[in-house]
Amino acid sequence: MTATTPLPAQPELTAELAADLAGASLALAQRFSAGATMWCLAPAFTPHAQHIAVEFVHPVVVGKRALPAVALTGPDLVDQVRMSARSGDIVIAVARADDPDVGAVMRRAPAWGVTSIWIGNGPRPAPGAADHVLWVDDPDPRMPATGHFVLLYHLLWELTHVCFEHPGLLTAPSECTDEVCITCSDEGRLAEVLTVADGSAVVRTARGTETVDTLMTGDVADGDLVLVHAGMAIGRVPDEFDEGTEGPR
Amino acid sequence: MSTDFLYPFIDATESDPAALLADLAASAQSKAAESVALREASLKEAAPLIHSAAAEMARRFAAGGRLFCFGNGGSSTDAANLVELFARPPAGRRLPAWSLTADQAVLTALGNDVGFDLVFARQLIARAQSGDIAIAMSTSGNSPDLVAGLREARQRGLYTIGFAGYDGGAFAESPDVDTCLVVRSQSVHRIQESQALLGYQLWATVQAHEALQ
Repeated sequence: MTATTPLPAQPELTAELAADLAGASLALAQRFSAGATMWCLAPAFTPHAQHIAVEFVHPVVVGKRALPAVALTGPDLVDQVRMSARSGDIVIAVARADDPDVGAVMRRAPAWGVTSIWIGNGPRPAPGAADHVLWVDDPDPRMPATGHFVLLYHLLWELTHVCFEHPGLLTAPSECTDEVCITCSDEGRLAEVLTVADGSAVVRTARGTETVDTLMTGDVADGDLVLVHAGMAIGRVPDEFDEGTEGPR
Repeated sequence: MSTDFLYPFIDATESDPAALLADLAASAQSKAAESVALREASLKEAAPLIHSAAAEMARRFAAGGRLFCFGNGGSSTDAANLVELFARPPAGRRLPAWSLTADQAVLTALGNDVGFDLVFARQLIARAQSGDIAIAMSTSGNSPDLVAGLREARQRGLYTIGFAGYDGGAFAESPDVDTCLVVRSQSVHRIQESQALLGYQLWATVQAHEALQ
């Protein structure tokens, strides 16, 4: 480190990221209006998780409503979210794309019925890794310490409160807007295995817990992710970081 | 002719989010540009103060001094991020630094028994020594617990730095604050974003100082 070390870039907010922030804010306002709690994670930068939570719970602008947001910190983060989040909730993480705990939470979010937001910089998470990916491509490891992430979640809070002024838009659109409806056709819903019995398993999906037949997938274990269709587990979903840290214990 | 577009806040029948999403995105870009401009202006204004404060901090660290950071609410998390930067930097030398909001047992014991205004001062009485450094992060510069903490720190021979917004508040005039870094804005959010960058620059300047080479 020398005196000539340049300051990290202060990135412009690209049009793409601004649009992603707008979409995430509307989704947040819709979910909060429906009673969601937001669970905040930042395993490598814990204060960011706490800053997001305090921002929403105790707004700096007098008169803005307090919203339920909670920072989850400490060990066994995946277990903490699994136990805390209910269907319809939100999880927001500040983390690199290769953070194993956040990756595991994001993969499970659809099975838990949880809307997911992922803030970070550097290499991006895989497409579709979260519902809303708010990403800065500059990989500078100093970025989490220079105010840009703070800006991103401040904007998320500010825009979410703008959305509350548009009551007509606060009801999330029905999934059944197309000719082929994923929900009604029961097509491949993500599920997390809770307990295993002979030839069947109790799984958690966005709709709650259900018992599914596991003849097609063979043996499954607690914590496995499977696709279910018409009462059957029809396939396993591979876990990118298979380090044995993600199952219920 | 519909006049709904004039009064979107009373339009409960609004159903197409496209216009709102476009407004939100434009607003995000405008606020971000404001934030970047304020960060650059704050850094420029604070540069001489950061230079002198970092030199004093580097000398103290080199002589065994330690850093205590504290703040309230969002500012407590910004203080904790600054502590992370000093204690576990992405590059450079690790320096002893702690956040005084990290231990909820100590914080609630003091808050309950002696009052919230003394939660930081009492920790400094127990832990701080002459030769150490105290940094208080605030947007108003007026919080009684931070003012009391800085007073205690100064009396014990610590070098004291206050981060504030607006016009600097009580920090700007206080004899207990050796260096006051002010972000001249009226927005708590924009102030905090700039303070993070000032904190970063303070850290980088300490790291680069000859006393620590």
